[in-house]
Amino acid sequence: MVTPRRDRKWQFVVDMDRCSGCQACVVACQAENNIPINSEAQFNQHRAVEWIRIERYWEGEFPNVKARFLPVLCQQCGNAPCEPVCPVYATYHNNEGLNVQVYNRCVGTRYCQNNCPYHIRFFNFWEPVWPESLRNQLNPDVTVRSRGIMEKCTFCVQRIRRAELDAARTGKPVGERGSEQEVGLQPACVQACPTGTLVFGDLNDPEHFPTLAKLVKHERRFRLLESLGTEPNVVYLKKVDLEAKEEVHGA
Amino acid sequence: MPRVRPSIVVPLVLFGGGGLAVLGVAVFFLANAWFGVPVGAQGPVQPIAFPHTVHAGAPAEDGTGGLGLSCTFCHRNVEQGAAATVPAVEQCMFCHAAVGGTTETAQAEIQKLRDTAKVGEPILWKRVYRLPDHVQFVHDVHVRLLSQQQGVTPSETCSTCHGQVETMIKVTQVRSLKMGDCVDCHRQYTAPTDCAICHY
Repeated sequence: MVTPRRDRKWQFVVDMDRCSGCQACVVACQAENNIPINSEAQFNQHRAVEWIRIERYWEGEFPNVKARFLPVLCQQCGNAPCEPVCPVYATYHNNEGLNVQVYNRCVGTRYCQNNCPYHIRFFNFWEPVWPESLRNQLNPDVTVRSRGIMEKCTFCVQRIRRAELDAARTGKPVGERGSEQEVGLQPACVQACPTGTLVFGDLNDPEHFPTLAKLVKHERRFRLLESLGTEPNVVYLKKVDLEAKEEVHGA
Repeated sequence: MPRVRPSIVVPLVLFGGGGLAVLGVAVFFLANAWFGVPVGAQGPVQPIAFPHTVHAGAPAEDGTGGLGLSCTFCHRNVEQGAAATVPAVEQCMFCHAAVGGTTETAQAEIQKLRDTAKVGEPILWKRVYRLPDHVQFVHDVHVRLLSQQQGVTPSETCSTCHGQVETMIKVTQVRSLKMGDCVDCHRQYTAPTDCAICHY
């Protein structure tokens, strides 16, 4: 019999204090996950597909303007609003804490997209096309989604699966990248991030994912739209701003 | 007067017997597609008529049988990765630079191989087993598990899905490999049946 799988809970930490808004994660994600190239017209129609995007905010008045960057990806909610509205059970929660989108079940009702408060679900309004020069760039480990299908960030589940298989073959545990003793695991955006803004790991395995285990409990911690009770699996760390005035909200 | 359902009457009136015949044909084709032998059951015609019987068939006492090569002798990546891989032309030429075949047909086919090797181009083998794009299958983990469970060498596990390839002159698909087929086996071995194991 197959040995039971380890009980995982995949989690992201986004340290907003480190983000410089360079968009490397966006490019890496597009390349890794076979996301079609978005045209200007698609952005204008609000039909562009970006599994991770950088939201930019301006703060303050000239000349004291500050740019704020907020990387937003699928929050893989523990209590996901997208799941109960799917009539064909194409999106569901698995026991690894992932909010799975099953492409071959999806019939394209877009209810999930309408019910997602984070706007990170994307519908394929067109058959995806790439220029001829990028034909060989497609990732064979990721399905090319056809027209009429909903898609979203998967936490690079193909990399998780590959790491698990490598771990099974070599006998090493799956862990943070950088040690010879373990099979390194990083989603494409984390790998591309030059400032170390993004940290990924298994919350149930602090031994092999020590950075995540430390940051998840950080005092700057917050989650997006926490009041909705969606229990996101992405933890954000607040920007450190020494000049900011102490503001009391809700007083 | 008994009540007649309009759902039956309407097509009967509209098409008469012809409508029923069309319906019957449609039902036949649908049933055939669902229950019948899978597409590709005849096996595609390959650019070189490669006989698995000669290479992998069991050797006989009088020397007439095959060479008895194990599957992994040629499909070398099957224990290392997702794809089992077809050997490179160079690997064929390790033997066939010297081995030219005994019969006339064999010589003709081996000549095709040698011509390809001279040009330096790969042979465009036709795929026999193809899974849909949204299914991710990894050979190595399946081969490792089955060989551990059954206590046999990796090469002896291939027949679970691919059948007795060593007796096939032309390789054909022997299992439907529809999702039910996969899930049956996954349940039997208590392997995970989470969607995101294969679909992503």
